Amino acid sequence: MPSIVTANDLRSGAVVYLTGAGGWVCDLPHATVVDGADALKGLEALALASVERNEVTAVYAFDVRLVEGLPEPVSVRERIRAAHAPTV
Amino acid sequence: MYRYDAFDQGFVAERASQFRDQVSRRLAGDLTEEQFKPLRLQNGLYLQLHAYMLRVAVPYGVLSGGQLRRLAVIARRWDRGLGHFTTRQNIQFNWIKLEDTPDIIDALAEVGMHAIQTSGNCIRNVTADPDAGVAVDEIEDPRVWAEAMRQWSTIHPEFTFMPRKFKIAISGALEDRAAVLFHDVGLRIVKGKGGATGFRVYVGGGQGRTPYVAQEIAAFVPRDEILSYLEAIMRVYNMHGRRDNIYKARIKILVNALGIDEFRRQVEAEWATLDKAAINLPAAELARIAEHFAAKPLVKHPAKAPKVEARRKSDAAFARWMRLNVLPHRVPGYAIVNISLKEPGMIPGDISADQMETVAELAERFGGDELRVTYQQNLVLPTVAVGDLDTVYDALIEAALATANTELITDIIACPGLDYCNLANARSIGIAQDIAKRFADPEKAEAIGPLRLNISGCINACGHHHAGNIGILGVDKKGTEHYQITLGGSPKDDAEVGDIVGPSFTAEALPGAVETVVATYLERRLTQSETFLTAYRRLGKLPFREALYGPEKPRRAAASELEIANV
Repeated sequence: MPSIVTANDLRSGAVVYLTGAGGWVCDLPHATVVDGADALKGLEALALASVERNEVTAVYAFDVRLVEGLPEPVSVRERIRAAHAPTV
Repeated sequence: MYRYDAFDQGFVAERASQFRDQVSRRLAGDLTEEQFKPLRLQNGLYLQLHAYMLRVAVPYGVLSGGQLRRLAVIARRWDRGLGHFTTRQNIQFNWIKLEDTPDIIDALAEVGMHAIQTSGNCIRNVTADPDAGVAVDEIEDPRVWAEAMRQWSTIHPEFTFMPRKFKIAISGALEDRAAVLFHDVGLRIVKGKGGATGFRVYVGGGQGRTPYVAQEIAAFVPRDEILSYLEAIMRVYNMHGRRDNIYKARIKILVNALGIDEFRRQVEAEWATLDKAAINLPAAELARIAEHFAAKPLVKHPAKAPKVEARRKSDAAFARWMRLNVLPHRVPGYAIVNISLKEPGMIPGDISADQMETVAELAERFGGDELRVTYQQNLVLPTVAVGDLDTVYDALIEAALATANTELITDIIACPGLDYCNLANARSIGIAQDIAKRFADPEKAEAIGPLRLNISGCINACGHHHAGNIGILGVDKKGTEHYQITLGGSPKDDAEVGDIVGPSFTAEALPGAVETVVATYLERRLTQSETFLTAYRRLGKLPFREALYGPEKPRRAAASELEIANV
């Protein structure tokens, strides 16, 4: 299943997503989607380097499905995080 | 209320400055997250879904108007204008930035507040009866002892790295309003022989994935000896509580593994070895603390005020608020006012900065500059002159805080759930809102009568679902949020863990299921005064189960048993 790497910005705690260039973005559609273990490993290596630079914390990958080319988180939890707001 | 002396103030200021240094070292990269995490947690700072969350301690739920005003400033300047009161009588801010926390902690320290021991495996904020000092049924003010325990437990070196967190609650009244029996240690102030007061001590209660009602370990511990007795309990727990499995680390697991008699024996053996005089609170210190809580002299008022009585006759909504949210005070002519943070459709326990300022002003003008937080996530003005009740009510209406629903089905306890919390499996707030809207008609809710409905978004049970008359637990079922209903729980003197009624419901189906449970109760209650809990205990689970899932089918197991019997 395609996946995206996420974290929380160290200073603000805000939800961020990794791009293939090693930067972090707030908007899920701008994140880099990878498919397959090797591609994910590459992304995770970029994320860990960022952790070591004290830019982000709590890094992990989560599953998405592509809907009309745009990533949509599979889990409710990640949909709530991606909205940067509670659902209430 | 207790006011910090130079020692307390110095200690809190020192901790604030230490934390500022720790945060700056983290931001500079001198501390890794692994090194920093325990430090931030010791200062109440969690990382949640959307941001950092700061949990601020409100010792035994007591706040001054000035402190609440400061919380409003924090909400406005560093959060999104909101605070959220918790089931430990604390307040959480959900949108905090790490880089702002040193300034927030300083702002708290200036008004004698902090976030110490609101997380971690230490003795957490000691909770108490929100009506302490003013309740008509009070034996002795529990705040004095809660404060003594705050001082005793604060950075106590022996109890800073226990197997797991530790929660204590104290009630000094005949009725338990502090859910004492669902605590690691629950304390009831009682009178002993000759009228001297002491503590009945319960141990091993708690919710979470393994819920237990606490058991009595001591019928009477003289009050002067309570700290050393508690220390003996803590030592036995610290020594033998499990550290290999986080799910089995709470004291309730140890108490139930050993049995209460063996646990008691070990505590008494430990107690006998302690230098009690060095641990117990000296009489002079008890007197010093007690002085802070001495009842202020109140100007005598008649028990009833004519203008309030007239308003009660002419204004049905005011009359309902008086019936449900206003309680008798130990001094005639005064009342205890419950301020509901449960307007149907709103987020249970949430309060805006503007609302905080309104309540602070009411406390300052009409409430002796004191207010309380309840574990049901509401606020209390403990001392309001009866003649001021209509003025207070009007101000509360202006601030959308005059909902009359204390202890009714819409007075829902709910944890933040999956909308904010990193541990949650399902959302709780939206479910609470949906249910509250179904029962939003105040006449309907009042006709149902007292009914505790509690919601947790995961098995950790921060929303006290096990203790709800109707409890709702959010679970993740193959990626979809589902909700399990429990019935018959109670947090009071008749404490009980609720029974799971059957398979879980989807979020869409759940409010209807709750309506079915309530309708079943209303159809079957003997009289209007038979509460939901009493009726459930009389009827048992079956009629509710059948109403929810249809008639019980004969079980296959029963059929095979029959065959065996025939053989």
